[in-house]
Amino acid sequence: MKRIKIIGLVLFIVLIAIQFFQPAPNQSKQVEKMAITKIVQVPQKVQMILSVACYDCHSNNTRYPWYANIQPGGWWLASHIKEGKSELNFDEFGSYSNRRQQSKLKAIINSIDDDTMPLSSYTLIHKDAILSKEDKMSLKNWANTLKDSLALRN
Amino acid sequence: MRTLILSAAISTLFFVACNSNGNKQETSSTTAENTEMKTNEIAKGPVQGILAGYLEMKNALAKDDDKGAADAGKEMVKAFDGFDKSTLNAEQAKVFADIQTDAREHAEHIGSNAGNIEHQREHFETLSQEVYDLVKVTGAGEKLYYTNCPMYNNNKGANWLSETKEIHNPYLGKSMQTCGSVKEELN
Repeated sequence: MKRIKIIGLVLFIVLIAIQFFQPAPNQSKQVEKMAITKIVQVPQKVQMILSVACYDCHSNNTRYPWYANIQPGGWWLASHIKEGKSELNFDEFGSYSNRRQQSKLKAIINSIDDDTMPLSSYTLIHKDAILSKEDKMSLKNWANTLKDSLALRN
Repeated sequence: MRTLILSAAISTLFFVACNSNGNKQETSSTTAENTEMKTNEIAKGPVQGILAGYLEMKNALAKDDDKGAADAGKEMVKAFDGFDKSTLNAEQAKVFADIQTDAREHAEHIGSNAGNIEHQREHFETLSQEVYDLVKVTGAGEKLYYTNCPMYNNNKGANWLSETKEIHNPYLGKSMQTCGSVKEELN
């Protein structure tokens, strides 16, 4: 019993200690000149869907949940955001090559069709990020039209 | 005290589990190195390394071999990274610059998606278009057949490059091995 207490105490201290290592928040607060909304037409409805269901991991501004301040929850979030942004960052969409922009739009459509995005671990907590059939349709239609118009620019 | 111990243990576990992901990929990339050496030896055209990786990928997908496709993807990433742009003329360099980042990313995704062949094929579709655009201006150094499969992706169709006139469909694999027809011959 004494041993368990010691182990418990050590873990507790570790848990306290890691609270001092907070990852830098993903909140740029700058005007994003390369944001997708600055480069191409994004209808209001689509903008709403993107900001509610996608931007937390795919832009330079995350709306953090409460557990972001508790480690290792915050670290876990930070790694997801880092990965999400490297795949697709809507705030840097304008800096992508024309081909890459088209590929990203295609990937958006595919991930909606395959139901891989938004991640189920994300929608578990963010219920408002669950896309309705209608949301999916408007997002896909927009991505498709935009993709076709980008293809013509080549 | 007991619940405290438990919650501390769970959170530590949680952290360890999340972090162990990153290490795996690094170890598997070394195997691609040896095969790439081989493909460079038989280099003929300026984009031979890229093309060799592409054709290997195409053949793996035609055999429903997701791991083979992933290895070829990693090989292609290396070929893109080590590519010598000085061998290209202005027009070729423009097309190369145009496709480079995107094609490399597709190859990278295919490389990291062993176990999900349908996803690999989605990336392969765009990659095929890009490699086609590239060899169209650089030349392939060998005879290639630009082939179309009308059935893939709900009959929207998709294209690929092949070194054989005979059809080995990389999109539908073994289930529809010979579906497709040659659209164009390249040299």
